[in-house]
Amino acid sequence: MRVLLIVALLAQLMATSAPAQTYAPSTPLPRTTSIPALRAFATQREIEERFKLGLDAGARSDWRDAAGEFERIVALNPAEPKGSTAQYDLAIAYANLQRNDEAARALHAALARDPEFLAAMANLISIDIARGDLREARKIADRYVALDPDSARALYSRGIVALQTGDAAAAREDFGKLLHANPSYAIAHYDLALAEERLGRFAAAERELQTALELAPTYARARFALGVVFLREGQQTAARSAFARATLDASGDPALQNIASAMRDSIKTP
Amino acid sequence: MMEIVSRTLLSRVLATALLAGAFFSGHLALAGAASLEAMLDGALIPSAGPVLLGPITSAGRVGWECKPERAAASAHAHDAELPANPSTQ
Repeated sequence: MRVLLIVALLAQLMATSAPAQTYAPSTPLPRTTSIPALRAFATQREIEERFKLGLDAGARSDWRDAAGEFERIVALNPAEPKGSTAQYDLAIAYANLQRNDEAARALHAALARDPEFLAAMANLISIDIARGDLREARKIADRYVALDPDSARALYSRGIVALQTGDAAAAREDFGKLLHANPSYAIAHYDLALAEERLGRFAAAERELQTALELAPTYARARFALGVVFLREGQQTAARSAFARATLDASGDPALQNIASAMRDSIKTP
Repeated sequence: MMEIVSRTLLSRVLATALLAGAFFSGHLALAGAASLEAMLDGALIPSAGPVLLGPITSAGRVGWECKPERAAASAHAHDAELPANPSTQ
């Protein structure tokens, strides 16, 4: 009798400790017969599917197909965050198809829907630089820095645009801030040196270039810039030496190599 | 008389030629210096702009999983997908 009781108890325990596992369906089943609700459900499903198809097409660099999928999503006008995301992804497809004006328009549409979309601002600046619209690039970069003053990409982007538009003071400020958080970023030291050189602060430019070259000794463009700064400072021998070294280090950049060797040969040292 | 005239003429021609030569060579020197300046200024070009951040899924930009938005907000150059430092050899 006691054995039977123990067996029954064990059986009860096993039955309660291992209940059958249930799985939720991956997509909720429609619980309506309303035609508009069913249509909305189908549209949502189509949007999800097209996102997947568009991203897959982009992953295999089939930008024409990717653009087609995201254009269709945009036409379906989904709610946020899908609306701005579709415009953002569409812009990437357009940019890869060299349709930069349309890419910029798509990113503006993304930002109209989501004004704090930092990745959209970042990409819009890159596209504006590529299509030569530096005025708009600066406007977006100002907005980007205002929204996220610590963002390395915001500071770098605005610094580059400022250098390209001749605003050396703004470039100096942005690259200075960027280097405060990233002191080993040689490229920012180089760009800060360009700003200092344009402001006539040759000693500061030389210091930044020496730092860049300590971090990246074969940085040919920084070595060339150092030669230019030495020339501005009247140090002919040091300049010639820097141009000679830049000629050697710029083997992957024929244009820089040519100009560096021309500069080296033009300096007559005693 | 003829000799005096021709000497004067010769000296004037010579002076004009020398002046012209001096002006021309000075002009060339100036042009050379200007082109050197232009060459130097043209060679000091800023670094490349950043490359495009990647695509985002239908989940949108909000959330830790969205790598492009994180890159756009990162304070660190390495995570921000900025141009990489040149070789450190």
